[in-house]
Order: sequence, then C-alpha cells, then structure tokens
Amino acid sequence: MVAAAEFFAARGVFGLVWIDRDLIVRRRFGAMAAFIPEGEPLTDALTPFIGSEDYILSFQQDPKLSLELPGVVIITSAETQDRFNLSLFWDPAQGCYFLLVARASLDATLELELVRHVRARLIAEADTTMKSKELMRANRDLEQFAAIVSHDLKAPMRALQYMTEDMEAAALRGDPIELQARLAQVRTQAQRMSSMLSGLLDYSTVGRKAMAIEDVDTGALARSVSGSIPHGTGMTIDVAGDWPVITTLKAPLDLVLRNLVDNAVKHHDKPTGKIRLECAPVGADVVISVIDNGPGIPPEHQASIFLPFRTLEAAGRPATGLGLGLALVQRSVESVGGRISLGGAGLDGRGTTFLVRWPAAIGASILLS
Amino acid sequence: MGAAYKVMLLGDIGVGKSSLARRLAFDSFNSVYKPTIGVEIYRHLLPSVAGEPATLILWDTDGNFGDAVLRHVYVKQASAAIIIADRTRPETLTTMVRLGEGFSEMMPGRAMHFVVNKCDLPAAHGIDSVVDRLRAETPVTETSALDGTNVARAFLETAIAIRRRGH
Repeated sequence: MVAAAEFFAARGVFGLVWIDRDLIVRRRFGAMAAFIPEGEPLTDALTPFIGSEDYILSFQQDPKLSLELPGVVIITSAETQDRFNLSLFWDPAQGCYFLLVARASLDATLELELVRHVRARLIAEADTTMKSKELMRANRDLEQFAAIVSHDLKAPMRALQYMTEDMEAAALRGDPIELQARLAQVRTQAQRMSSMLSGLLDYSTVGRKAMAIEDVDTGALARSVSGSIPHGTGMTIDVAGDWPVITTLKAPLDLVLRNLVDNAVKHHDKPTGKIRLECAPVGADVVISVIDNGPGIPPEHQASIFLPFRTLEAAGRPATGLGLGLALVQRSVESVGGRISLGGAGLDGRGTTFLVRWPAAIGASILLS
Repeated sequence: MGAAYKVMLLGDIGVGKSSLARRLAFDSFNSVYKPTIGVEIYRHLLPSVAGEPATLILWDTDGNFGDAVLRHVYVKQASAAIIIADRTRPETLTTMVRLGEGFSEMMPGRAMHFVVNKCDLPAAHGIDSVVDRLRAETPVTETSALDGTNVARAFLETAIAIRRRGH
C-alpha cells in the first residue's frame, strides 16, 4: 500500500504523510506534502490539527475513526494560499498514521471564484436595498414634513401678517389701546407657532433617538399611566386582561398609553365616564385596547385622526392642544414595528376603541424595519 | 510556543471575520471584499496571556454555512468562539446571538466572545442599545478591522477566558 501511495504521490495526484504513534512526521511523499517537515510534530506545519491531538490519539484504540477536513486553507502569509482536503487515519497493520493531502483542482478553483463573485454581489445588493429603504423612508418623512410645514404653519403666519398690518394702521391712527391688543395677539400667535415647531420636532425625531431595550412589565406600566393622568372623580380608569412582561422600548410604549388615556379623559363629553385598558398576547405581539364610553369619533374624521395638527372639537367645547398626540402615538407604534387602528365602538355602545398591536420582543431584527 | 488554542470565527457573510483575522495575524487590511469559502486557518502568537505565551489557531469559517457550521467537523475540539456581527447591518446581530446560543449548546463551558465590527462606520439605528443589552450576558468588544481598533484586545480577552476555563 505504501508503495502504491508513493507511486501516486510522486505523480502529483496527492501528497502522503507517514506519522508515528506519537504524532511525529516520519516521512512524506510528493510535492504536495513538501511543506510538512519530517521529524517534527504533525501540528507544527498542520495547524488544523492543533487542539485535536487527543482525538487523533484515540484512533489507535478505535481505528474506525478518522479526521477529514475538506476545503482547508492554511494561511501563513498575506498572499493567496493553496486549498487542501486533508484526511487523517490510523493504520493498525502498519502501526502508524497516514495523512492524505489533496489539492483542489483548477476547475474547483474557478468554481470557488464564481461562488465568491456571486456572494460578493449578493452582499452588495442587500446593502443597496437597505440603503434605498432608508432613503425612501427619509424621503417620505421629508415630504410629510414639508406638507405639514407648508399647510399647517401657513395659517398662523398669515394671521401674524394681518395682525402686524393692523398694528401699523393702529400706530398711524395713534390708537395705543388697539396697538396693545394686537401686540398681545402677536405674542400669543408666536407662542403657538413656537409650540407647533417644538411639537413638530418631537414628531420628526420619534424612532430616531437611541433608547434602551428592556424587560417591561406592561401591567405595571398601564397601572402607572392610568394612576398618573388627572381625571375627575366621576371618571374610572380600569386595567384588565393579561399584561405580560415584554422586551421592548419602554419610553414609546409609555407615550402611547399616556396619550391614548389622556385623549379619552380630555375628550369625554360627560362628567362621569369609563375608560378601560385591556391587553392580550396574540402571536409574537401583544394587542392593547384603550376603550372609552365618550362621544366617539365621527366617521368623517376617522381617516385623518393620526395626521399631525388635526384637532376635533369636543361636544360643546372648542378644540384644544396642537393636535399632535395621535400623530405621535402612531409614529411611536410604527417605530417599533407595531400598528395602531380604530376598533369600532367603545363601552356601553358608544365611544371609541383604539387597538395597538405591539411586538412582544424587539430584537435586532426589528431594527431593520 | 506555550499552549495553543483553537478559536472559531463565526458570523454572517461579510461581517469581517477574515479582515479581523488578517488584522491580527498580519496587521493588514484588504479593502477588496473576498468571501471565505470553506475554512481558512491562521496562527497567531500572543506573547503574554496571563503571563505566559499562547498561540491562537483561528478557524475563519465560511459565513454561508449559517447555523450548520456548528454541526461541521470544523468546530470539533474548539476552545472558544468569537462570533462577529457588523454594526451597520442589524440582521447580523440576530445571527450572532443565534450562533452564540447554538455554540453554547454544542460546546458547553467553552469561552465565547461577541465582536461587533466596523466601529469606524456609523451604527445602524438601535444597534447601540442592543449591544448594551448583550453585554450583560456575554463579553462584547466593538472593533474595526479597517483601523485596528480593539482587534488585539478582543482576541487577547478570548485567550484569557480560555486559559481561565482550562480548555
């Protein structure tokens, strides 16, 4: 057998290495094994076997064992190296180990290069797709931002312009009382615009701030929110259902619950009322419902309630606030990969139900969204 | 040469496993991406690991193996795994965590170190908080194979962990 191996090794079919029972290289045959020095431990030149010495020695007790390492490149310099298939086994008849060293053929090398090119292209494509997704999102945000700024900030700007014209007329007339009244209006309008711009900035940065992912006891959070929102003695806020501990971003969930409950309290049309927070795990998400028995949202307004600067007049009361609450809520829910929707009537056949589908575990994968 | 430790480099395709190995072994960086096919083995001598020299045998694996690499003969008798992610691609962190769980299951008691590579580039949104969270359970080092930041440190800490565990 050794003679046959020598014959093939000499013709470059493979390299053959003869190793004694103490794992010292005794002889080598063929150019392919020329890099393995004789008289040295096997592992000196063949780093792939380092760490496996005990396993290799166990072949002497169980000759059925062998160690085959396909497609191994031993890197010894920054230059390109040869790729080998290594097969090591124990020959009980000879009382030694044999190592076969076979080099990948030229065809296989071309195949490898092809695989490399395909993989490199796939990675580049994945990278481009991710970047274009980010770009699309940024563009969408920019368009929405521009639309809000041009539409919703135009009205107070126009009002400011009219007020300054009135002030000019009052000054020319020498009417200090009118002038003072208009000045007060300008100040109020400027404050409102400043609040709108701050709100808009908050809205535009939702989902862009670095926040910590943590284990959140949703029940405790819901109880804390319901307990901290001021409401009249006639108003009850219940927390019911199955509220699990989830791995998530706490701040946006707090913002969502707080705004929804606050809205339900603020827009209620009666001195007595009911608000209920419910939760149920559904698949990989939790579904949180915020239900009330308030006046409800008229069908004609339901499509626009999540848009920024949309305010509804409560029964008999003018609209208050900037109209950013639900816009912030929707953006926060979507920033973690969740969804929010209106779920029909609320309690006692009236009112509103908001359904929030929130991922129960925010891992690295969700960050892709 | 002192003790020699077999260390697996695992992780998604393109996270920089070979670049880290090359940075450590040859202090060089190749900007032309060339995916590893099969396995490439590097040897690197650390002059002092807790006062004694040690040689790391780095098994730089083909990212395309996915989780199957854990069942491959390559992983047999490994002393440790360095599992690598790319901070610009969040999905690679998911793979890193999954490979880490698989390695702990297959090779209980072996040292494991997470490396979040490409710290010379801006992190994808939310990566930093995920990394902070991982750090609570597994050593995490943020590296740059491009400029060498923390590369030697990550490998040295792994070698120290191996020595401490006696594998």
